[in-house]
Amino acid sequence: MSDVLLGLKNLKVIFPAQQGIVRAVEGIDIDIKKGECVALVGESGCGKSVTSLAIMRLLNTPPALVDVESINLDGDEITNYSENKMQDVRGKQISMIFQDAMTALNPVMTVGKQIDEVFIKHQKLNKKEARIETIKALRLVGIPEPESRAKAFPHQLSGGLRQRVLIAMAFACMPKLIIADEPTTALDVTIQAQVLEVLRSMQRSHNVSLLLITHDLSVVAHTADTVYVMYSGKIVEKAKVEDLFKTPHHPYTEGLLGSIPRLSDTTKHFVQIPDSVPHPMFKPTGCYFHPRCKYATDDCKKKMPPLERLDNGREIRCYHPINFTGGETNE
Amino acid sequence: MSKNPIIKLENLYVDFPVKGGLPFQKKKHISAVSDVSLEIYPGETFGIVGESGCGKSTLANAMIGMVKPTGGKVIFKDNDLFSLSRTDFKKTRSDMQMIFQDPFSSLNPRFSVYQLISEPMFIRGGFTKKEMEQRVLELLKLVGLDEKDLHRYPSDFSGGQKQRIGIARAISLNPDLLICDEPVSALDVSVHAQILNLLIDLQDHLKLTYVFISHNLAVVKNVCDRILVMYLGKVMEFGSTKAIYKNPLHPYTNALISAILDLDIKREKTILKGDIPSPIDPPKGCRFWQRCPYAMEGCKDIPAPLIEVEDNHFVACHKLSGFSEDEIARGLDKRISDGQ
Repeated sequence: MSDVLLGLKNLKVIFPAQQGIVRAVEGIDIDIKKGECVALVGESGCGKSVTSLAIMRLLNTPPALVDVESINLDGDEITNYSENKMQDVRGKQISMIFQDAMTALNPVMTVGKQIDEVFIKHQKLNKKEARIETIKALRLVGIPEPESRAKAFPHQLSGGLRQRVLIAMAFACMPKLIIADEPTTALDVTIQAQVLEVLRSMQRSHNVSLLLITHDLSVVAHTADTVYVMYSGKIVEKAKVEDLFKTPHHPYTEGLLGSIPRLSDTTKHFVQIPDSVPHPMFKPTGCYFHPRCKYATDDCKKKMPPLERLDNGREIRCYHPINFTGGETNE
Repeated sequence: MSKNPIIKLENLYVDFPVKGGLPFQKKKHISAVSDVSLEIYPGETFGIVGESGCGKSTLANAMIGMVKPTGGKVIFKDNDLFSLSRTDFKKTRSDMQMIFQDPFSSLNPRFSVYQLISEPMFIRGGFTKKEMEQRVLELLKLVGLDEKDLHRYPSDFSGGQKQRIGIARAISLNPDLLICDEPVSALDVSVHAQILNLLIDLQDHLKLTYVFISHNLAVVKNVCDRILVMYLGKVMEFGSTKAIYKNPLHPYTNALISAILDLDIKREKTILKGDIPSPIDPPKGCRFWQRCPYAMEGCKDIPAPLIEVEDNHFVACHKLSGFSEDEIARGLDKRISDGQ
């Protein structure tokens, strides 16, 4: 048994549209080890959410066309599972925490009942047993007075509590993998700190793997072990979190890091990456990042650089990596 | 500070009645803004900071007359905003404009960029079609958009570009005061810098005064000259940005600053327990006491006065103002134990 829990190989997702083809995800590989927290970082429109939905097999096909070499979950190949079998996997082995708790929860059902459902479906408990488990789950994520909160409707809870309810629901059956899609974007900074703390401690104490999807590198710095940086449907850099923050190799990562406002800043202007992400239907030739890259040369305009593996486990897709000292590539 | 303030708030209160409830029951009120006084001077950037639900947006809305305060005055350039006649009010209003948080919903999807940006001029009147078109082109260039974007629709633009359109619309009538209500929080982190830099450049260029609302203290630190920290409608701390960041005195400000996820420093964190309580019937004393790690018995019932601790730095906290002798005798300075 290897220690890789989820092995995603060569995932491609395209959306045919009237004017052309949208290549949302263009062949990405992700490995998640047991008990590890992996972050997938990128700007909106780079394909991070589509990737997570593809792993859960939640993309509607059509319109989406998904092509994947393998999705391996703990030794089982789930690529060709039937919809019925997939329903057993979802919630029990992989579960998901969505960005906006208000739309992810059913507004006309009490939150307790919604968590009960998970236990009734997957662990075949009866209603009474399920409620006991639900209250336990709510207590675990630090919700005060879980007995009475379980009877509340989503609109009666605050944003932070709703997000905790979603976390409780995701952890309900102690799945092997949890995918958190921008879990704190909709929250205030003080509540964000609370929710991340809960998520991290739950993940550590139950030894669950976590795939954290976010556009905020400061969230990543405090939670993740390994980081994949995604740009326009491709992985551009993979590294351990300390390495990435200390020596970003890809110019895009450097730009992302630079654009975060810091308390220690003294200048009035912020560092910015010029322009914005290319339209997924009209991607530039060569390296997708070259129109925004200050290091770009003619080579970058002609051919997409390959994803090279460095000897310290890092991966990088760039002809002109920065902060690069020694450490030849393995090619 | 000998200059005349551009806008001045005097003991502003905004309450909203709560709908529903039983007949004959005493009507409940949400106290969104309670007793806020401040002066904003021309050319400065004034930050308002706090969690959602603390009344930042209501305060901003009251400043430009979109919400009628229940008490107190808003004085804009020596005129009491709420005693002006309708026509005068309309005229005054065009000197203050607002940039909204969510560019996805603040732009009418059926309006082209030209229609969106020229709408304020259209409403104000007195512009010929040619003048309007010229002005719109000028504005587009100013906010970094292209001439050929003129007849496209909001759905063709990314979030950052949409916010640029929102900014162009807000400055189309050459306002003096611009209220930025969380101008970047709906955008990607990588676009934040672009929009903030644009706002900073525009301020230099057009001599604007900003009221900058945000919950991100790292952004506020670099943009604002003075900041106001609000909690449940009350001013907690108020002063120059430098003073507050160097020496945050209120426990709430401290918690806000430590909640920032920073990349370089691993600081000790005070993560606040619980959520912001409901503004319906807020606590009688200090509004923060339920979440405050230093709360004392007296904080429950006695509101903390806003005192000036150093030049241009005001704090409302019993920890600093202390209690009178006879209050201490009643044991009000005892810490509330953490166990509950």
